[in-house]
Amino acid sequence: MGTKQKAIEILPGTLDLLILRTLLAEPRHGYGIAQRLRQVSGDVLQVGESSLYPALQRLLLNGWVKAEWGASDNNRRARYYTLTPAGRKQLASERNEFSRMIGAIQKVLETA
Amino acid sequence: MTFSFPRFCRHLLFFSRREQLERELAEEIEFHRAQKQDDRAMGNITLAKEESRDVWSFLSIENLWQDLKYAARMLRRSPGFTALAAISLALGIGGNAAMFSLVNALLIRPLPYFQPERLVGITSAYPKAGLALFQQESRTMEVASVSADSEFNLTGAGEAVRLMGSVTSANLFSLLGTPVEMGRAFEPGEDRPGRDALVILSHSLWKTKFYGDPRVIGRMITLNGVNRLVVGVMPAAFSFPSPRVELWVPARVDPSNVQEYFAYDFVPLIARLRGGATIAQAQGEVRAMTAQLYSMFPWVMPRNWNMDSRVISLQEYIVGDVRRKLLILLSCVGIVLLVACTNVASLLLARATARRKEMALRAALGAGRFRIVRQLLTESVLLAGSGAALGLLLAVAALSVFRSVLPHDLPGVANVTIDGNVAAFVAGLALVTGLAFGIAPALSASQIDLNQTIRGGGQRSARSFWVQFRGWLIAAEVALTVVLLVAAGLLTRSMRALVETNPGFNAEHVLTVRIAPNQSFCNDRGRCIALYDDLLRRARGIPEVADVAVANTVPLDGEFAGIPVDVENHIKTADFLPMLWAGAISADYIKLMRIHVLAGRGFTESDGANSAPVVLISASTARRFWPGESAVGKHVKPTWDDQWRTIVGVVSDVRQYDLTNRTPDWITGAMYMPYAQSVQIDHQFPAAMDLVVRTAAGADVTRVAQEIRGLAVDENPNVPVSVVEPMDSIVSGSVSGFRATMGVLLSFAMTALLLAAIGTYGLVSHSVAQRSYEIGVRIALGASKPSIVGLILGQSLRFVAGGVVAGVGAAVVFARFLSSLLYGVGATDPVTFAGVILFLFGIAAIASSAPALKAARMDPLKSLRMD
Repeated sequence: MGTKQKAIEILPGTLDLLILRTLLAEPRHGYGIAQRLRQVSGDVLQVGESSLYPALQRLLLNGWVKAEWGASDNNRRARYYTLTPAGRKQLASERNEFSRMIGAIQKVLETA
Repeated sequence: MTFSFPRFCRHLLFFSRREQLERELAEEIEFHRAQKQDDRAMGNITLAKEESRDVWSFLSIENLWQDLKYAARMLRRSPGFTALAAISLALGIGGNAAMFSLVNALLIRPLPYFQPERLVGITSAYPKAGLALFQQESRTMEVASVSADSEFNLTGAGEAVRLMGSVTSANLFSLLGTPVEMGRAFEPGEDRPGRDALVILSHSLWKTKFYGDPRVIGRMITLNGVNRLVVGVMPAAFSFPSPRVELWVPARVDPSNVQEYFAYDFVPLIARLRGGATIAQAQGEVRAMTAQLYSMFPWVMPRNWNMDSRVISLQEYIVGDVRRKLLILLSCVGIVLLVACTNVASLLLARATARRKEMALRAALGAGRFRIVRQLLTESVLLAGSGAALGLLLAVAALSVFRSVLPHDLPGVANVTIDGNVAAFVAGLALVTGLAFGIAPALSASQIDLNQTIRGGGQRSARSFWVQFRGWLIAAEVALTVVLLVAAGLLTRSMRALVETNPGFNAEHVLTVRIAPNQSFCNDRGRCIALYDDLLRRARGIPEVADVAVANTVPLDGEFAGIPVDVENHIKTADFLPMLWAGAISADYIKLMRIHVLAGRGFTESDGANSAPVVLISASTARRFWPGESAVGKHVKPTWDDQWRTIVGVVSDVRQYDLTNRTPDWITGAMYMPYAQSVQIDHQFPAAMDLVVRTAAGADVTRVAQEIRGLAVDENPNVPVSVVEPMDSIVSGSVSGFRATMGVLLSFAMTALLLAAIGTYGLVSHSVAQRSYEIGVRIALGASKPSIVGLILGQSLRFVAGGVVAGVGAAVVFARFLSSLLYGVGATDPVTFAGVILFLFGIAAIASSAPALKAARMDPLKSLRMD
């Protein structure tokens, strides 16, 4: 497996945001979401089923994503999640919020 | 999270489709795992499922239901433990429910009158002049008088009967604000002479004697030989001033009759505060008006007369001394509940240790600590709930026992029931106790070191904190038990002292029956004397009757016969106004009751109506007035008489008023007058008398009783005759309330003791089980059996000793509250305390010795190989 980056915990509250972001480009199934997060973060962000699926249920319940059964690349039945308009709005606003917060944290870390 | 309606609808949808969602999730996760087959499993599948489920379910309700189902299963699985715990709790909760229903009915629930919070009672009794003055002068109160125990002969409606009635001022009913059921109440001014020949009936009297006939209103009935017009009937629920009262007649307030206006019966006063007035203001007024009344008396009254009278709420006034007793019993039954809780907590702690593996497994499967604690608390609340249900049944039975502690004529006692309030109280109690005894065990069980427990080493590791904690629980239990045992012990010793006390008379084989002609019948003194002489003569003729006599009061019968007297060579002052208990007796009474003549002579048949007036006085009275010299030949007389009466003999003391000899403090002594020469406080000849009979040993008491009553009824059918009562039962009846209190306390103490014994047994066997490895090692290394037993006993008795020390301290404080109930024994009676301590150590030693012996017989090979 080569040298593996050590996985870190995803900041509490940010998982929903990250999931929504992975769905911005295209619908994905659960495993696809986890894979995408890993790839993009260079193996730093690894999300387990125990957090992923409850988070997806939460998003469904809030109406930010829709789920449909479809066929996967290897032709198995898989459940694809799609961003809804409400989800898009939520993503935008949370993203804003998050950037402001990170900026603020950065500032504090560099100057204080 | 803020509430959003669409989200709520989706939630409902999810909830309703959760089975489908579950299947889908399973499939989805299956797919996920297939996708990363070559990866190591990254997450906890069960946890993923469980938490996803949490998102769409109504978590709290579902979990609660789940927890309950699981809890019920766990409790069913160990029926012995469950039964023991539930019964412990049922004893505690049931006792509390019953006691609470009494406290609720008597001390908390508002009285069933209009604006009851404004009703007050005045603690001292006043003559009619006091009533008139208070009614006229008070700015803060409207005042009424209401006597509790006046007796009336009802004649002309079937067999003549003696009824308990109340003499009241005309405003009583309007003051209480209770409407009549039928007819009308008294109107203002109807307590003045000439307009007072009225009566209001109780519902039960109307039903039983007048067959519920509504035409009774407007009818004349004959009470004590006086015709009175029936004007009203009170509703069944009305029981003021006492449920024994069957009729109300207006007081006759007549200022022109000085004796009646200032003396005779002093009556209790109650009042309604006027708008804006406070109890403190009323209190000030009563003080001032009492001083004013004092100066109005036509004769000298005792110094500071009624200056200690207080204004208190009517509720407190009605309940009186009973309040203290109730609070004592309530705290005792509360202690029983505490002991029960402690016991169950200790049992649960032991169980928690035994279930550590189960908990570890649940934790390993992903259950959080909070979840485990909640699960265990659900179990304990369920346990408390079943205890409460059982307790409620127990409460119904306990209530009738507890009721016997209270005076039966206390208003409100008869209709105390286990009602909604009590059920709510019990439910609350169950919840609180469930949480209280469950929290420590739950915390202990949830403190899990996964690795250690599952590997099994945990069984041996000394989880010393919780073992210690359990020890202290037992110590607390023991301490509380000591308090109850001491209380019960003190009461038992008092009861014993009371029973063994010499009452000054012999009650064996003595029968009494009360014969109560109207006072007017005895206006002709000769007619009255002839009646009793005739009765005495006829009673003597009954076979198996050894002695007969008449007396105006027999000891302990509740009659009261004090008259003010002058004593020769003793000047009356405001500090010395002697009042003597005045017995009116026939010649044989002294001999019949086995009262001893200590000096001089007793009465003879020749001490008749026309011979020289003579009296007997009691030994203590003689000592009081003539210390160091003979009282025989000295003189006393009723205050209003002109002629002195000669003391012809001194007789031994009799406990006339109650067995504890607590005569009211304004009674100075006792004397006896020959019946034919006697007089009572209203200056009249005593009409109502007891016929007293001593049967021969081995006589058929029932038959004799029947014959006596028969001849009394036959003598004059217009004279009411009471049932025949053996003197024995009057004596034991006079202490029945005390005996009941003792019984109840004793049962509390025994319950607590049983629980503490079970607790100690549990603690010791648990610690033996826990230390089996260590004990095995010791035995293997050659420790003797006695030394093992000593080791185990020493450990448990250390906690018991701690509890005893704390308990003795608490009991010393608690016993001080009891002192008003005690007789012939101090509140810190060393015999009781020593007995309790020894007894408790004995029980603790017995409870611990079985497991200790088991430990000593342990096979070291087996115990070392365990785990």
